[in-house]
Amino acid sequence: MLAGPRCRNFTSLYSYLGLSLRHIPPDIPALVAQCATPPVINGRVLPTTVHTYSRRAHPPQAWFPPPSPPHNATMPPPNTPEEGVPTAGAVVPAPANTSATYILGRHHLYPEPPVSPPPRVPTAPPAATTESSRATTPNPSRSSSRPRSASRDSSASCSNRSCLLPINYQDLHYETEVDKSLECPICRTPFHLPLTTKPCGHTFCASCLDRALEIQPLCPIDRTPLDASRDVCHTRIVLDQLDRLRVRCPNRGCDYICARELLPVHYERYCEYTMVHCPDPDCDLRVARADARGDRGCLHTFTTCQYCGKEVMVAGLEEHYDADCGGHTAKCGHCNAIVVRHRMEKHTAKDCPRTMVACKWRPFGCSEWAPREVVEKHEQGLCVYQAIGRLARDRMEDRMIINELKERVSAMDERLRKSEKKEKNRSRDGGGHFGGIPSAAPFMPDLDLNHSPRAAPSYNGGTWESPEDYMLAQFERIESRMEDLRKMIMELDGHHTMRLLNDTMRLNEQIAELGSKVGVLGMHTTWLMNVQRQSRGQQRAGTTGGTPGPGIGVAGGVSGGGGSAGGREEEARRYFSSSNDVGLPLRRNSDGRNPPRL
Amino acid sequence: MASGSQKRLAKEYADCTKTPPTGMSIHLANESDLHKWHVTLEGPAGSVYAGGRFGLIITLPTDYPFKAPDVRFATRIYHPNVTNDNQGGICLGLLKSGNWKPSTRLLSVLEAIRGLLAEPQPDDPLEARIAHEYQNDRKEFEKNARSYVNHYAKGPVKFDVAPPNVNASGSSKDGAAPSR
Repeated sequence: MLAGPRCRNFTSLYSYLGLSLRHIPPDIPALVAQCATPPVINGRVLPTTVHTYSRRAHPPQAWFPPPSPPHNATMPPPNTPEEGVPTAGAVVPAPANTSATYILGRHHLYPEPPVSPPPRVPTAPPAATTESSRATTPNPSRSSSRPRSASRDSSASCSNRSCLLPINYQDLHYETEVDKSLECPICRTPFHLPLTTKPCGHTFCASCLDRALEIQPLCPIDRTPLDASRDVCHTRIVLDQLDRLRVRCPNRGCDYICARELLPVHYERYCEYTMVHCPDPDCDLRVARADARGDRGCLHTFTTCQYCGKEVMVAGLEEHYDADCGGHTAKCGHCNAIVVRHRMEKHTAKDCPRTMVACKWRPFGCSEWAPREVVEKHEQGLCVYQAIGRLARDRMEDRMIINELKERVSAMDERLRKSEKKEKNRSRDGGGHFGGIPSAAPFMPDLDLNHSPRAAPSYNGGTWESPEDYMLAQFERIESRMEDLRKMIMELDGHHTMRLLNDTMRLNEQIAELGSKVGVLGMHTTWLMNVQRQSRGQQRAGTTGGTPGPGIGVAGGVSGGGGSAGGREEEARRYFSSSNDVGLPLRRNSDGRNPPRL
Repeated sequence: MASGSQKRLAKEYADCTKTPPTGMSIHLANESDLHKWHVTLEGPAGSVYAGGRFGLIITLPTDYPFKAPDVRFATRIYHPNVTNDNQGGICLGLLKSGNWKPSTRLLSVLEAIRGLLAEPQPDDPLEARIAHEYQNDRKEFEKNARSYVNHYAKGPVKFDVAPPNVNASGSSKDGAAPSR
């Protein structure tokens, strides 16, 4: 047997892997301890429906591995005489040590499948000591031997009372055919917390593999040596497949069917048949949640069966009717079936095939009124009102939806109007602060977060249901303001760009116009100057002897000045020759009277 | 609430009864107890045991898939791998505690036992004398085996002939069996 720090526990591995194990109550060990003693009420020992866990074959140390050295220290060392009460030793530490209880309990995530039938006589090995015998042995140093009354007083028991029995995954009823490859080869049920061996790739339930490796550290299929701490891993794809399996709720009487991953939630929170602790704080038994809810008090008192006169526990009355009550049944007046008397009403209302009932499409005009078995057949295909009925039902549903939507719309309208009004008021109040910026004034005041005098009354005035609501609303408003501002800035930006574009375009045009005008003027000037020069040249030629200007057949219309201007004529000649040298054709030299065209 | 192993046992039983190996019929010793099976095995045709009907008692430990089941012959049989007394212990590698694998199904255990009758394994004997005879004097062995069959394995199988000395030497699990 492996024990102590070397032992492993795959479920703790699961918790390290962060897999969801919510369905497992945190303190099963306490439950175990509690279940070890049959409860006593009114001086008689009650048969427990909760089985005890066998402590014979597997000392619990193998199941509560110390996760860290400090916890190790709280546990009794293995192979000491004190190991005689291992369950309680590991499970019920002193009240001050509650954290250790929790951690140890958390690692014990599923109940150990017992190896022996429950009614085992406590025999020689000290491990099988019952709680009662422990209570008789005076052992003040160990708080584990606390009597049951003490357990009620301690605060730890309060947390125990809120916990539920774990779901036994190997007992679940699957609604759909489960693939054989999803079954654990050891327990032959669909895997619960599957683990795959690394060297050989076989998959098992964590609990099955745990136990198999405890006996032999070999793969249960091909006997490959396995190191439990290293050679296993979980396979997510298998988990996903398992999560999708449809299962029936394990509680007796509950017909709920759901995906397996949703089962823990249903079982823990919603199922009316889940066994919870008795509402009576002095009672350690369990009742179905539906029975615990009312103010019926403890149902674990004895009552006399109204039919057979036997003394039965109130909580077990229904079971008693089903199993061993005599004289509680009666014949149904319609169908001669034998029914438990107080269930007769339910029988006639729901099951009895002879009771006269109406067709379910009666509101839509069907007049069928016959025994249930006939009506059921009639409803299944013969009823002509079925089509109309369905249509009408759909219409009714639609109308309900429409009404609901209408209500919602009007409520939202109302809210919108209110908030608009409020905002208007606010902006009017705050407008004065920002009078300098007239365009931004309507928006700015609400941005002023520091303006607490105004913010506080609106909260205290009860407009908002809670500070969170208020803050949220404020935040939303700020956000919308920001959005508005952003839009405004964008708009302004656009305006600016537009205006800039418009202005510069006009300027550019003007500049271009001016430029062209300057060019024209320049040409005019050149022309005028040319004309002047030519006329001067002609004048000079006329005075010096009539030699025509070299290469220029230009008739000057302007009479030149005096003959003393020989130098000037020379100058002009040089000018023209130079222009000829460059090879520029003189423009319309033949017609010197017209100015150059633009 | 050994529900896990109960469930597995129920499945194993359903498997075995639904498609029993040839020449076998399987019943529970007691309708409410899945841990004790009574199997009637017809001697495989062609072997020296043909025509005989042998009773097998399978006792499944409470931690069953983890511990090997206990299989014994309730009918005496002359076989090298079965003790030649009224305990009917079987030497089968599959069932040895060191070799047992939790994933082994009872169906394959039954097949293996049937195979053992069809073909004894004298290399790994429980009865060295019979094994020796089987290897060296096959005719004598066959004669003895047939006489055993005629003497013990004709007529209805009796399971309650469970050997009285199992109580003393067998494990405590078996202790309750013979008293029934």
